[in-house]
Amino acid sequence: MNEKELQVAEKIKGMLVDNLRIPEEELDYEIALFGDGIGLDSVDSLEIISCIDSEFGVAMTGVGKEHFYNITALTKYVVEHME
Amino acid sequence: MERQLNTRCVVTGLGMVNAIGANVEECWENALAGKEGIDHVKSVNADNCYANLGAEIDFELPKEEEKDRVSVLCLKASGEAFADSKLEGSIEDPTRFGVIMGSCVGGVLSIEEYITNGEKTEDINKMTISSIANHVATRFGAKGVITNVGNACAAGAISVAYACELIRAGVADVFIVGGADAFASVPFSGFHALHALSENPCSPFNHSNGITLGEGAGAMVVESYEHASKRGAKIYCDVLAAGISSDAYHITAPRPDGIGQMYAINRAIEMSGLQKSDIGYVNAHGTGTAKNDETEFLSLHTIFDNAGGDLSVSSVKAMVGHCLGAAGAIEAVYSIKALTEGKIPPTIGYSAEDLDVLKEKAGEIDFMPNTAREKELKAVMSNNFAFGGSNASVIFAKDLGEVKETESDEEVYITGLGIVSPLGNGVENYVNQINAGNKVSGNSVLAEVGKDDFGKFDIKMAFFRKLDKFSLMQVVSGLEALKEAGIAPEEGKEEDYGMIIGTGDGPLTTVYEFEDHIAKEGNENGSAFNFPNTVYNAAGGYLSIKTGLRGYNVTITNGSQSGLQSVGYAFHEIKQNRAKGMLATGTDENSAVMQKLYGQLGLVADGDAKLYVNQSGQTLSDGSVSVALESKSSAEKHGSKKYAVVAGYGMAHEGVKYGEIKGSDAGLKNAVTMALSMAGISAGDVDGIFGLGNGVKDVDDIEIGLVKEMFSATPVINVREYIGEARAAAATLSVAHAALTLSGDLAADQDAFVFENGVEVKKVNTSSWKNVLAVAQGTGGTYSAVVLKKAE
Repeated sequence: MNEKELQVAEKIKGMLVDNLRIPEEELDYEIALFGDGIGLDSVDSLEIISCIDSEFGVAMTGVGKEHFYNITALTKYVVEHME
Repeated sequence: MERQLNTRCVVTGLGMVNAIGANVEECWENALAGKEGIDHVKSVNADNCYANLGAEIDFELPKEEEKDRVSVLCLKASGEAFADSKLEGSIEDPTRFGVIMGSCVGGVLSIEEYITNGEKTEDINKMTISSIANHVATRFGAKGVITNVGNACAAGAISVAYACELIRAGVADVFIVGGADAFASVPFSGFHALHALSENPCSPFNHSNGITLGEGAGAMVVESYEHASKRGAKIYCDVLAAGISSDAYHITAPRPDGIGQMYAINRAIEMSGLQKSDIGYVNAHGTGTAKNDETEFLSLHTIFDNAGGDLSVSSVKAMVGHCLGAAGAIEAVYSIKALTEGKIPPTIGYSAEDLDVLKEKAGEIDFMPNTAREKELKAVMSNNFAFGGSNASVIFAKDLGEVKETESDEEVYITGLGIVSPLGNGVENYVNQINAGNKVSGNSVLAEVGKDDFGKFDIKMAFFRKLDKFSLMQVVSGLEALKEAGIAPEEGKEEDYGMIIGTGDGPLTTVYEFEDHIAKEGNENGSAFNFPNTVYNAAGGYLSIKTGLRGYNVTITNGSQSGLQSVGYAFHEIKQNRAKGMLATGTDENSAVMQKLYGQLGLVADGDAKLYVNQSGQTLSDGSVSVALESKSSAEKHGSKKYAVVAGYGMAHEGVKYGEIKGSDAGLKNAVTMALSMAGISAGDVDGIFGLGNGVKDVDDIEIGLVKEMFSATPVINVREYIGEARAAAATLSVAHAALTLSGDLAADQDAFVFENGVEVKKVNTSSWKNVLAVAQGTGGTYSAVVLKKAE
């Protein structure tokens, strides 16, 4: 990740810790957020979409689930679509 | 031995207000005409929201002093039902006259008002659900069981069921029941965040693309046939039976396999003595979300297809919106009108194309598109399903039927305990702390739930991170009580076990924080993650999910005494054979928000609170205590420890201004008298009292007065001395501490207050105690009392 990506990734991680109450020690940039990884569900994805919209101004409603796979995937999508 | 519960329960009064009418007649005629009450929302800012519709009441409501809009709505519907029943002047014993009201969001408008308009003290007592039933009781002179059901969108339906249970148990004659909710930003923003709001008027069983919120209230007078006929009351119908269950699946979504709903519906039919084919109309929950409608189609087809009947189904939500905690009550009133008038209101909103699609989905059921029809009906069913996986089904009928409810004379034992408190978690820890003479200090103390508890009860991160502190405390104490009791239902028996959650303030902290957030960030920015935890029955829902218990699951809320009332409620569930085992709990949370609100009300002590010495403040505390109750046969089957016998229960209300308690002494005396009577003992047989004083003079004085009058030198042990005023948790802890005393787990020598000559603290030896009494209070003048006996 470049510096900008690292900044975004760290913000996303902080948001997951603060807003979805995921213990920080459980999270790294690669762990799968849904399914067998952290075990997030559809309500959590709504929260992620809402937070990314207000934090970065990037709309992710209806975006393919591969972009939600882990923090790295989210970061990549956000950086690509930021103004 | 079992005896048949033959008492007939009848409906003698109706009241209703919603977006399409100010009274039953208007609401009814407009529903038959298919009038849609849905429009662009006015009371909530939806400027930046993807959906902006609601079914708001746009006519003027009666002026009521010092009450939230939810209580104004509830008083209006209750007043209509009360007048309709002509009850005034015909109540011989007001302690057998109760009020049970359902609500989902309670006084959430007052939280909004508080946050956005100057944090006024007068708004604080209007915030919770607790006040609603109190206002109705005080207005109409009810002095018996007064409570609120907090089971979100099933709350209104459950209020009818609980009233009938108490009437059949012989502890009450007549109730005003129902439910109310006002249109507000919190639910609007919450359902918006969940993408559960429809952009167009909701379209149940049709487009199924989301709900449209509404507001209103429904009320019924339900009484024993004997009481109604003695006073020559007009009888609308019988309430034959109800079924209540929990999905144990998901906090917001219904089980896709529908087994929770189907258990509730089948249970109601079975207990009513009717055949499926006798049900001519089901007023469906029909919210218009894809998940609800799909599951409800499945349940209705599975149960009623090929049953030889002619079933009609409709959802009035297409006209009046989803009125949340009022929905079950409003829809019960519509169901009763359908039954007695022989007309069925439609589900509106179908186009010609929609009708073609409906044909496929409807099968042999008539889903009543667009137009009302006349139909001779023998019996009708009203179904409601809610967040937390809560399911309720109620059957009303023209004839008395053959109700199958029974009552057992088996004893009910306390077989397990679970404790989360500021002294630490776990029963063993509590016993050690008390025996060591430890107690909390300061004016605000907190329980903690964390890694050790999660490890002990195998609570995974994917589960626990979803819960707020209120729910976490409840899940941990509930799991401990079940583990202690050894309750682990085998497959297929999950409905035999349930829970009654008692709470005074519910998830007020979470609701407050949700409102605070949207007040700053806009209704379009509500948190989908936090919203499910704003419903009062979230804690019971999570506990059901974690344990797999799918039986009776109700959250009651009427001040601190809710944690003692839950014991009485659960006791009835076992006695009346609806459950083999039940958890009865009390849970309340302390937080920065609660410290601020209680502090502003002047109820928090300056330093350490001191009980019974004319002080004006409490040590604000929190926690969760769960008590497992089981029938004797169930307890013996798996060799549970028997801590104590639950021998009697009483609840009474002496209405004073909500937020105060002074002058309500008679309520406590009545509750205690009822509990002693049910236990078959007199005041002289009581060896010890587990008291309710909390350091607030008006509260303490009422207890001192009662003890002096009825019990003279009987010692009073008070758990608030050890853990502070944890409200409902302290009320349940009184029972737990009493059970640990009778069982001999706690050291025999304990500190107790004696009021015979002033206020003295004495060491008492409890080893010979056989009968004890626990008491608790709720603001506004509501009291519960429980008698425990030593287990043989």
